[in-house]
Amino acid sequence: MSFVKGLKCRECGRPYPKQPLYICEFCFGPLEVDYDYDRIGRALTRDEILSRPKNMWRYRELLPLDGRPTDGLNSGFTPLIRASNLAKALGVKELYIKDDSVNHPTLSFKDRVVAVALSKAKEFGFDTVACASTGNLANSVSAQAAVAGLKSYVFIPADLETGKVVASLIYKPTLVGVEGNYDQVNRLCSEIAAKYKWAFVNINIRPYYAEGSKTYGYEIAEQLGWKAPGHIIVPCAGGSLITKIWKGLKEFQRLGMINELKTRMYVAQASGCNPIAASVKENMDIIRPVKPHTIAKSLAIGNPADGVYAQATVRESGGWAEDVTDDEIVEAIKLLASTEGIFTETAGGVTLGVTKKLLAQGRISRDESIVICITGNGLKTQEAVYERIGRPIKIKPNLSAFEEHIRK
Amino acid sequence: MAKRLVKLTFPESLVKKPLTFQMAKKYDIMPNIRRAKVTETVGEIVLELDGMEGNLEKGLRFLEKQGVKVESIVGDIIE
Repeated sequence: MSFVKGLKCRECGRPYPKQPLYICEFCFGPLEVDYDYDRIGRALTRDEILSRPKNMWRYRELLPLDGRPTDGLNSGFTPLIRASNLAKALGVKELYIKDDSVNHPTLSFKDRVVAVALSKAKEFGFDTVACASTGNLANSVSAQAAVAGLKSYVFIPADLETGKVVASLIYKPTLVGVEGNYDQVNRLCSEIAAKYKWAFVNINIRPYYAEGSKTYGYEIAEQLGWKAPGHIIVPCAGGSLITKIWKGLKEFQRLGMINELKTRMYVAQASGCNPIAASVKENMDIIRPVKPHTIAKSLAIGNPADGVYAQATVRESGGWAEDVTDDEIVEAIKLLASTEGIFTETAGGVTLGVTKKLLAQGRISRDESIVICITGNGLKTQEAVYERIGRPIKIKPNLSAFEEHIRK
Repeated sequence: MAKRLVKLTFPESLVKKPLTFQMAKKYDIMPNIRRAKVTETVGEIVLELDGMEGNLEKGLRFLEKQGVKVESIVGDIIE
């Protein structure tokens, strides 16, 4: 049974039917899923959610499917970890890590959005899915399309490093290396999406795909005992995740799942690609696109599609934004690993680095609950830290050689 | 004929210049403005451009050369 009324333009509010559409034909604003919350309120209760399996589909009434979910049936419900060691290191009272570095099946939060995108693509009758990605999205589309029996096309810049290609190629997608710069790949993919009848997860399926991120927010609230935290720090690339976590928390409040919502939302970006953070800090009216130059490749989106909405989320919630240098990112990755035993990708280093900065600035209160969003796994971006973590000790195979090193 | 959907961002120094009109006239392009925002410091126009493919390219390059930022309205596709 569907709880979706249709799609709605985020700019002019014009309604659209449930179809693979993503742009308002009048004002060219992006479309968003519109739900019947009264009916959801009657169908979904805390007890109902608690009775369901621990995956992202336990909130399925708030996701944009008409039928039962078919993909990502083990995705989501990742640990919310009380990070006592890191809290001590940062000098804060109550700190949590929402850890999507262990999300199923491809170790990033993208498994949530792709699960929704593929389930929806099948409802629409597509037999082919596609995306343009340099990392986590490519991995997730490749893996989940393989399970779903869908054909998949993944577009990447032709000069992408082998390491990044392996985690997609293993699932046998059609991997297309486009010879061109970043802008040309972007442009080509828009043209392909317009011409071929494929489910391009982050283009024509985008309104549905993006809704999957809300489950990250629902889980935070549920795992905190049906409470929203004081502060959430979110890594931002296109700006969709922070917008959807906020939307998810507002929906939970509307449905009475949480009693109050005083959460402040914070944008975390790398200094080498900070269009959203800059717009917040300089109080600009628009998002000024940038040419990315950072080790945080998964956040390197210079012209963020949801930048203005991310900025609006920060303003509405009373949060803020910051960015950190590549050095600060690496230091934060190492700090998280050495305090909590979590190896995050560079995006996680951005989030923790920004959290440190916001604490130092007094923007975040040290006495309130703080959630840091860790959205990807460090095993995928080892080159970012490889030169900065020392080397193993080499010894001869005898006890005295070992003990000699111990004494040093 | 081809169509392009673009977002043009005009820095403060260019807000008063009729660049969209000049581009349209010079390259025989028909602009159809769908959304616009002009503040004290910046101008932003979301529009559809209709014209010959080669002319659209030239027209957009003309704007970029003047200092206008030309972006696809859907944002970056590569995630």
